[in-house]
Amino acid sequence: MSNPYAGLTDYLAFHRVETNYQQRTENRLDISKLRSAHNLLKESTFTPKLPEKGYCHRGLYININTLEVKEQPVTQEMKDIFIGGRGFGLWQLWHAVTPSTKWNDPENEIVISPGPLSGITQYPGSGKSIVVSISPQTDIPIDSNVGGYFGPLLKFSGYDFLEIQGKSEKEIIIFIDGQKGIIKIEECPLEPLDSHILAEVLTEMYAEGEGDRTNISVVSAGSAADNSLIGMLNFSWFDKRRGCIRLKQAGRGGIGTVFRDKRIKAIVIRGPEVKGDHNHPVDFETIAKTGIKLHKELRALDPSQCVMRRNGTAHIVEIMDAYDLLPVHNFQYGSHPETHKIASYIWDLRCTQRTSDGCWYGCSMSCAKGADGLTLRTGPYKGDVVTVDGPEYENAAGLGSNAGIFDAEAVLELNFYCDTYGICTITWGTICAFVMECYQRGILNKERTGGLELTWGNWTADLELMHQMARGEGFGKIVGLGVHKMKHIFAERGWGDPKLLDDIGMENKGLEYSQYLSKESLAQQGGYAMTNKGPQHDEAWLIFMDMVNKQLPTFEDKAEALYYFPLWRTWFGLNGWCKLPWNDVSPKDNHLRHEPHKIPEHVENYLAMHGAMLGTHITVEDMLNQSARVYNFQRIFNIRMGKGLRIHDRAPYRSMGPVSKEEYTSREDRYDQQIRDEMGQDPAKMSLEERMALHRTWRTDRYEKLTDAVYKRRGWTSNGVPTIDRIKELGIDFPEVLDVVKPLLS
Amino acid sequence: MITVNGDPLDWYDGITVQNILSAKKYKFPMLIVTINEMHVPKENYADTTVPDEAEVKVIHLLSGG
Amino acid sequence: MKSLKIDNNKCDYGRKCNHECELTCASKVFKCDDPARAALHINSDQTIICDQCGDCVVVCPADALSRNKQGIVLLDKKICVGCYTCVGFCEKNAFERNPEWVVPYKCIACGICVKACPNSALEIVEVPTPSPRII
Repeated sequence: MSNPYAGLTDYLAFHRVETNYQQRTENRLDISKLRSAHNLLKESTFTPKLPEKGYCHRGLYININTLEVKEQPVTQEMKDIFIGGRGFGLWQLWHAVTPSTKWNDPENEIVISPGPLSGITQYPGSGKSIVVSISPQTDIPIDSNVGGYFGPLLKFSGYDFLEIQGKSEKEIIIFIDGQKGIIKIEECPLEPLDSHILAEVLTEMYAEGEGDRTNISVVSAGSAADNSLIGMLNFSWFDKRRGCIRLKQAGRGGIGTVFRDKRIKAIVIRGPEVKGDHNHPVDFETIAKTGIKLHKELRALDPSQCVMRRNGTAHIVEIMDAYDLLPVHNFQYGSHPETHKIASYIWDLRCTQRTSDGCWYGCSMSCAKGADGLTLRTGPYKGDVVTVDGPEYENAAGLGSNAGIFDAEAVLELNFYCDTYGICTITWGTICAFVMECYQRGILNKERTGGLELTWGNWTADLELMHQMARGEGFGKIVGLGVHKMKHIFAERGWGDPKLLDDIGMENKGLEYSQYLSKESLAQQGGYAMTNKGPQHDEAWLIFMDMVNKQLPTFEDKAEALYYFPLWRTWFGLNGWCKLPWNDVSPKDNHLRHEPHKIPEHVENYLAMHGAMLGTHITVEDMLNQSARVYNFQRIFNIRMGKGLRIHDRAPYRSMGPVSKEEYTSREDRYDQQIRDEMGQDPAKMSLEERMALHRTWRTDRYEKLTDAVYKRRGWTSNGVPTIDRIKELGIDFPEVLDVVKPLLS
Repeated sequence: MITVNGDPLDWYDGITVQNILSAKKYKFPMLIVTINEMHVPKENYADTTVPDEAEVKVIHLLSGG
Repeated sequence: MKSLKIDNNKCDYGRKCNHECELTCASKVFKCDDPARAALHINSDQTIICDQCGDCVVVCPADALSRNKQGIVLLDKKICVGCYTCVGFCEKNAFERNPEWVVPYKCIACGICVKACPNSALEIVEVPTPSPRII
């Protein structure tokens, strides 16, 4: 067998020598000149305070139109029902908008909320915040979780959430100084938009001396967020060893677009120096011991399990390929002969290893790997040497294999530009895969794309498309509307068969799919499309349980998994936790436990820490109910905004089965076998078209049956509406909530 | 003939757990392997032979998602 | 670099010496009477001594640990965020925490225990500084 790594030797030899991880192109901006152009529009003061038992008991409301700044109460009822994080965000947003509010109306808000546990430094993955807004892509609430230092520093300044409403006429920066107790809204005409420069400049500008830079975190978008609906928010943290800022992303659903539509350039927080007990838990000792236990577990087991500390989530690239789950060519196929070129050993070499890479203190899982010394080959920063966080699995798969790109440096450059331009890598990956398949099938051609040859693997065209979008020009502007709107535009222009576009456009509710092939896992098809915010794997990742382990043989088994896991994972977003330390390492004796796939010891860790923070001890059942309140509230919020019903949980056929003849014939044995085993017919007597049609009937029928089972388990009607009984049982029977569902229940 | 996660697989004399993982392309690092409900530790995959008609389970834990 | 070394042949593991090393470390360095709060622990079944290997320097997310001119690994308490990554990642279990403090602590090779040992089983030695490891 030939060496699969042939041709990569030079690449590896180059990067095996540790690159100087502090070397990068300096920004050339004169910070004092930028600052002198600022015009103070509003200044107000507040009393900084630290949380008690995880809560500051107040939120910060800023209206950037009226320049009103006020404190919002955090009541006992809010704490009991909504916990924090996503719960608080949705509750504030609910009161801000009406059923007719559009994403770009002034009343739409951006709410950033860490949870009561967010900011503890002892347990890995405790620095998350959740960002909530009405999405420009889906027109319903989107929630996006993000690392970086902003959430904890907001909390340590004295606020459980930040709620931004209104639209500014001028370009502004909001500065919250949690050390001095000052809030400023400043007009800022000169700062550039792109995040890798903007966050660096603002960190320098607002830090009082070098040692203060770790106390600064910047929320920003980028120039592509101005010209698309898929804008993302970057949350920065200052990497002391590298001497530069790093960016984490609230990616999904276009919140960066809302941010830029409000003409916010950045929100800057300056928090107090971080200490280990700032959240003031009831029982610090339990949190300390639980954290140390997980640190030890990671030290001992990560090297032989997921190797997260070296490769981050990209460790599964080649694994997904081996199980036929890696999206290739717009989710047509699940593996590719060139996957090794973007596999984990590449990232192991390409990322700088000899440093600490957590996106919040104490995250010893440290998956935010930094790739240093990237020399850009295209775009406005061509020739610059930059550091990029990179790539997570989603990025390697979405920007790489799904577009047929198997070039590590190209994937890194795509990742860099997505980040600095402020667009979601997952969304961009699925969008590009869609337009490339349209190009493959003749739905698009060079004339229709304005000269771009969007063939599989053409990374220069992919990047040029992104640069066009950032400039608000050409075909890039259309692409920035997302798959859902593109399907309609192409159909209106007579480009391609609308039915085919529907089949291959990997979106649901207006949001693009994340990067796993779900064709052979019915449970995951539901895990994607029966979600609140749209298809992502944040709610449930069931492919191994369902397809490989065969642990979910019946519709009821799958429905149970689609009850438990979305609620379990919702709970991370209520508390301010990252889910990776839950399931990307597992205790040595995990196999001895009942239901080992739930990692029971880690579940116990989280319940213990929640209790240690708040002083109220809860069971798994309590935890599920806490989540179910917020989950069902969000479902009803969707209904209120015009979605959230069965019709909106339908999945594109590409996520369920083979759309094209090539897809069928590439896995013909598997599909024919299923006709014999599952459908009881003889494929030998059938034409290809007949076999494909039979599969389609069987697969779509299964999906409908799954929908029935899931709705029943969740306490919803067959139309997907939470019943009055369920709403009352959960204690979210507020009059305005009941008003939304009553007309649908008669 | 043995079964692996319920699917049939041809048996041969001396087949080990590692042989089965290779045949099935089970590359994931976080597995729980049982032969007729008896757990096999990771360090024994290469040395543990599987008897004919065994019921083998290879439970993959969740990851990445 | 300097680091603490134990001579297993000379040490009597507390049988007659009454753990003078631990008691002196606890009282003189940490101002408390509890030997459990010392920066070294010597028992017949387990010896916990920091060898200044520097793994904790690599894993600290706050960059609060560094070697001084003598190569001894020191914690800057002002920078420390109390995450205990150092405690969990120390293979020798030599990075410790006192439940009454948020910041952890470790041996600074000061030599107080060396002077206290009636058996002359401890000494501060000069050894080559290892290069940082990828952990």
